[in-house]
Amino acid sequence: MAEQKKLIVSHAPFWHDGSSIHERSYHIMGAALLPALAGFVLYGMPAVGVMSLSISFAIFWEFAFTAVTKRPLTIADGNAALIGMLFGMLLPAATPWWAVVTGTFIAVIIGKQIFGGIGSNAFNPAVLAVAILMVAWKERFNFDAAYVNYSFGFAAQYPLGVLKHFGVPATRIFHLGDLFFGRQTGGLGTGCGAALVAAGAYLIYRGFIRWEISLSFLAGIFLTAQIFNLADPVRFGGPFFHLLTGYTLFAAFFLLTEDSSSPVNLIPMLIYGFCGGVLTILIRNIGAHIDGSLYAVLAMNMVNPLLDKIRPKAIGKVL
Amino acid sequence: MGSPRALRFICSLAIVLFIVGVLSYSAFSRKAPDPPLRMMFKVAVGDVLFDHHAHMSVPGYGLDCKDCHHHPAEDDTDTRACSECHPAKTGKTPPQACGDCHDADEIEDQEMLKTGDAFHGQCISCHQDFGAGPVECSGCHVK
Repeated sequence: MAEQKKLIVSHAPFWHDGSSIHERSYHIMGAALLPALAGFVLYGMPAVGVMSLSISFAIFWEFAFTAVTKRPLTIADGNAALIGMLFGMLLPAATPWWAVVTGTFIAVIIGKQIFGGIGSNAFNPAVLAVAILMVAWKERFNFDAAYVNYSFGFAAQYPLGVLKHFGVPATRIFHLGDLFFGRQTGGLGTGCGAALVAAGAYLIYRGFIRWEISLSFLAGIFLTAQIFNLADPVRFGGPFFHLLTGYTLFAAFFLLTEDSSSPVNLIPMLIYGFCGGVLTILIRNIGAHIDGSLYAVLAMNMVNPLLDKIRPKAIGKVL
Repeated sequence: MGSPRALRFICSLAIVLFIVGVLSYSAFSRKAPDPPLRMMFKVAVGDVLFDHHAHMSVPGYGLDCKDCHHHPAEDDTDTRACSECHPAKTGKTPPQACGDCHDADEIEDQEMLKTGDAFHGQCISCHQDFGAGPVECSGCHVK
């Protein structure tokens, strides 16, 4: 045992591999731009207003907090802008400005800074903020009410709402191809499956998010929805419907994969993602809420520290 | 802390997006069209999403305005909102809208149908007559 080397560390000088928080933030924002553009095409300038205000206020709140608490200025790392962007994409395009301002305050200050800043937050800040807003102003997240003044070229009803209230037969007005290409209402940047998959594939390819979390989440959604659908095909929607509606794909590629609130080891990542998918369908099918994705993300964020204790990987290697 | 260049970039981004956001909210916020596209009726037993456009457009049900907005019968252009004549609660005095055209002594029936009763009568009877659209409570009201 004595001659075994636990850690292999070379002597200085060290070579930085070039990765940085700054780089990660802007790459994820760049990828998120694609589904955000799909939202702009569908909802027009109101979507731009929500997104722009959300990003600018997220930066402002972080700047204000670091200035007031006399901490190092961290806005340049782009993380606050990323939180603002993801938060904005979850909102309906008709969200009033004061809800955006309040939500970004919750996301940046309560969701991130009071935990100690980047890397210390227990929950995904954007998800926490939307969940709190959903409790505070439930009506603002009624997508059917939010878009009464919008004219679309397709059925302008929130697909998961139709499924929840009227059952599977009523969802025949939606076609899976249409849902995949964003012909559905919902969060302004969360409706276009094609754009979200493309963005997710890019992030996985570049190593900014872990495929284990995303794919296990989608597998959890698929299997659980399939079981429910087989048990009662009139009441419970099929797996593909659940995959393409609500916040599912956005949660898989942008929310569950947030660095600080997700596991770092392989088995915990698989459990984390899969259980998130199972929880999402449980909440949707037998819970009170129409879309359980956000609450599932928060629940899995909560158990994340426990999951990471499962078979932790030793640092270094034995020669 | 970040490099001065990164800091300048993020500050510029915040300022530009703030201006874009304010302009978008002030100049491009979506106004309710006339006639309305869809209407969300807030009801204690469950909200109702009514697709006004689908009922009046030709690719939809192609109803005439006067099929639902039935009073005054002689004026095709006067399509009052249902709730103007049918109040949420009935009282001993007629709704304010009656006084727009009638003198008080002209009004014989002091009690109007409540909004809910008027809607139920109108919607359900039409759906039954044409054999289309829901007639059960849960077909329209969602919690």
